Amino acid sequence: MTSRALIAEVLTGTLYVLLLIGSLWILLRGHNAPGGGFIGGLLAVAASAAYALVFGSHRALRRLPLGPVRLAGCGALLALLSGLPAVLQGQPFLTHLWTNLSFAGVELPLSTVLLFDLGVYLCVWGAIGGYCLALVGAIEEDP
Amino acid sequence: MNKHVWRPAWAVALPATLFAALLLAVATTPLPWRLSWPWIPTLGVELSVHIDGLSAQFLMLITGVGTLVFIYAGGYLAGDHRRHRVFTLLSLFMLAMIGAVVSDNLLVLFIFWELTSVLSFLLVGFDHAQESSRKSAQQALLVTGTGGLCLLAGIILLGQIAESYSIQTLIERAPLFWDDPRLNATLLLLFLGAFTKSAQFPFHFWLPNAMAAPTPVSAYLHSATMVKLGIYLLARLDAAFGDQLFWEYTLVGAGTVTALFAAFQTIYERDLKRILAWSTVATLGTLTMLIGLPGQGAAVAVAALFFAHALYKAPLFFVAGNLDHGAGTRQIDQLTGMRRYMPWTAAAALLAALSMAGLPLTFGFIAKDAINFAKSQSDVLHLVSYVTVFVSGISVAVAAIAAIRVFWGVDSVPRKVHPHEAPLSMLLPPLALVALGLLFGLAPTLVDPLLGAAARAMAPGFNPMAVDAAYDIIPVLEATLGVLLFGGLIYLYWDRLHDLLGRVRHFERYGPEAAYRGFLDRLPRLAAGLTRRLQHGLLPNYLMTLIGTATLLVLALLAAARPAWTLPATDTLTVPVLGATLLIAAGAGTALFVRDHLVLLLVSGLIGYGSAILFLFTGAPDLAFTQFAVETIFVVVAAAVLLRLRRLAPSILAPPPQTRLNPLALGVAIAFATVLTGLALMVSGIPFDSNLSNFFNSQSLPMAHGRNVVNVIIVDFRALDTLGEIAVLLFALLAALPLLAITRRNRP
Repeated sequence: MTSRALIAEVLTGTLYVLLLIGSLWILLRGHNAPGGGFIGGLLAVAASAAYALVFGSHRALRRLPLGPVRLAGCGALLALLSGLPAVLQGQPFLTHLWTNLSFAGVELPLSTVLLFDLGVYLCVWGAIGGYCLALVGAIEEDP
Repeated sequence: MNKHVWRPAWAVALPATLFAALLLAVATTPLPWRLSWPWIPTLGVELSVHIDGLSAQFLMLITGVGTLVFIYAGGYLAGDHRRHRVFTLLSLFMLAMIGAVVSDNLLVLFIFWELTSVLSFLLVGFDHAQESSRKSAQQALLVTGTGGLCLLAGIILLGQIAESYSIQTLIERAPLFWDDPRLNATLLLLFLGAFTKSAQFPFHFWLPNAMAAPTPVSAYLHSATMVKLGIYLLARLDAAFGDQLFWEYTLVGAGTVTALFAAFQTIYERDLKRILAWSTVATLGTLTMLIGLPGQGAAVAVAALFFAHALYKAPLFFVAGNLDHGAGTRQIDQLTGMRRYMPWTAAAALLAALSMAGLPLTFGFIAKDAINFAKSQSDVLHLVSYVTVFVSGISVAVAAIAAIRVFWGVDSVPRKVHPHEAPLSMLLPPLALVALGLLFGLAPTLVDPLLGAAARAMAPGFNPMAVDAAYDIIPVLEATLGVLLFGGLIYLYWDRLHDLLGRVRHFERYGPEAAYRGFLDRLPRLAAGLTRRLQHGLLPNYLMTLIGTATLLVLALLAAARPAWTLPATDTLTVPVLGATLLIAAGAGTALFVRDHLVLLLVSGLIGYGSAILFLFTGAPDLAFTQFAVETIFVVVAAAVLLRLRRLAPSILAPPPQTRLNPLALGVAIAFATVLTGLALMVSGIPFDSNLSNFFNSQSLPMAHGRNVVNVIIVDFRALDTLGEIAVLLFALLAALPLLAITRRNRP
């Protein structure tokens, strides 16, 4: 961008972080309330898109952890791997396992579902985000 | 030894080892052998191997003839740098053939069957710099591939009728579905598969054209093994359907017509290899006819002819290859007196020809004997008998041409190269086969057990006495004498017959091959016409085609369902729902009058947000959430792209000059809206099936520890689907990135 919009840049930088935190919160609460990996991932894409509008697709891409292809690939791989513990226990693939962590009187239920949903989140963010950024990048002036 | 010699030697090791192992196994373990592993249990596919006499006989031919073909190919292709490809393909082909004949599961058999077609395509097109080679390969693949599709359909139908894909189970259960109305259609499909593979009329034409392949390939695939796969399947299923009238009549009819037609075609040819190819087609026809004959004698005849044919036809192909190699031509007009230059090849040709002509003391005689016995056992039409005699006569003439005309007489043709004898590696294979033919002809008891076992596989209630009865000498000698005389006459008048028949070539213009060519010629024109109509490059027209097609489909659905129209209940019409609906309507209405692309985008965003609000207040918060997110991302990204485009290439985004309303488009739009309304009314008339949602609602917490049913379905109940979907996302990204990168590079 030739003319820099200071207010927009400051606001977007903050908004990006807030949106990502929000998307993670939506991912985590998804099992019991509206939300989940897919919606969380879309929110993260929205964050990336907003960032790209102000700072350009290049800098938004640099903010994608691992880059789009690897991010999406890791997500799909994580979802795939989350089904394997069940296979090792002799149950069908993708049967989710649960365990309760007790720590200082707080019960924290953990499961392979969370890994799976995290995989969905990362894959959606990497794939759709990567696509949107590449689309914006295709018609952008060179930085 | 240099590396050019030892490489083929290694290739030969594979078939030779398999052949030796097979001989050892047959000698020590009684047939049949059975093995089985589950493969795709949900489809009823298991890797089961069932080897009985018929399979064992085929295995012998595949590995035995295979060994000799490998040796021969080593000499034939000596110095050719593409040799490795031939050996690789031949080895793969051999394994595919073995898979096809040992498999008990029809679906597994089909997979190997198709593999042989593909490998045949690659081998026929070996000399791919030649256009004729490529055409022949394409023809072989298209004909056998189309038949393969029919076969697959037939196998699936058969599997549904018999509720099993196992051939042995099928044979056991055959009497149970004797009267099934689907059976004839099923058999017809199976016939189409087998007939295309085994070059039966009217699908015969690909086989002589496949002679574009190197000679060892022709000898192996297109004479000894692959073309017999169709016959193998028919012989396999003969135990199940042999007594069906449809089975008998079709096979006897098709086989007879094929044999007669191929025998006639032989006379048209001047190329020795093509002559042999046509006589192979005639033999395949005879085999099909024999399978159609009822009675146990036919089973023995099939087994004996299989064997005899491999023992005399493969050597004759080798001889044709040696002539090509040594004298530089296969045209019978340019080949006489070759005996002086190629004595060993001449000897092999003579011995093979004796067997082919069915002279006593050869194995060919025993096969002829078995065929005559089979015919005498079942009351066939006289016509069929006459055809067999005619075909046998042509066989005799072909044998005489290959052995006498080419090798005897005076070499009077001036030629550039001096003919020379083939190397040892090209003499050993034909000589070994003809020696075996002689041995088995003199001592038929050696192969008796094998033929008996093969016949038992085709006719379950077979008693071994039939084999002995087949060796009744006297009437056969008389018949043989007649056939020899007839064949001798044809041989003497061969050239005159050729000239005579050459004047009437109508069949070439109107026959099945002409139909095939016409179809192939018209296909690109049809495709081009369709493409011009559909891919015109006008986005509005694409949309019109899409929406018009969707309209017709929904209309057909509505017409088929004959729904009871019901107005939706009004109790769900709350204020938020009404507001959301108005928002959607406002967005859609405004879109009609907006010309600027950017405004259009924002207005369409209204429709999306309206839908999201609608979802939110009708009990689908997750859906609403997703809709909001998707809509936002879409509008933001599309707006960014549009804004940039406007600056980069203003002409693209200029509002369309056309202001006149396209009446056709208006009609399509109204029709689409009407059928969609109809669909909505129909759906509200159908009582909601709550089985599934009740299950998910009640089981979500206890089974999957989650209260958000939508999310639980996504990540737990249907997790595999989700996994597939995110994989699709990933692949879509991988496909889109290069395209966008190109756009970036090429932009103005």
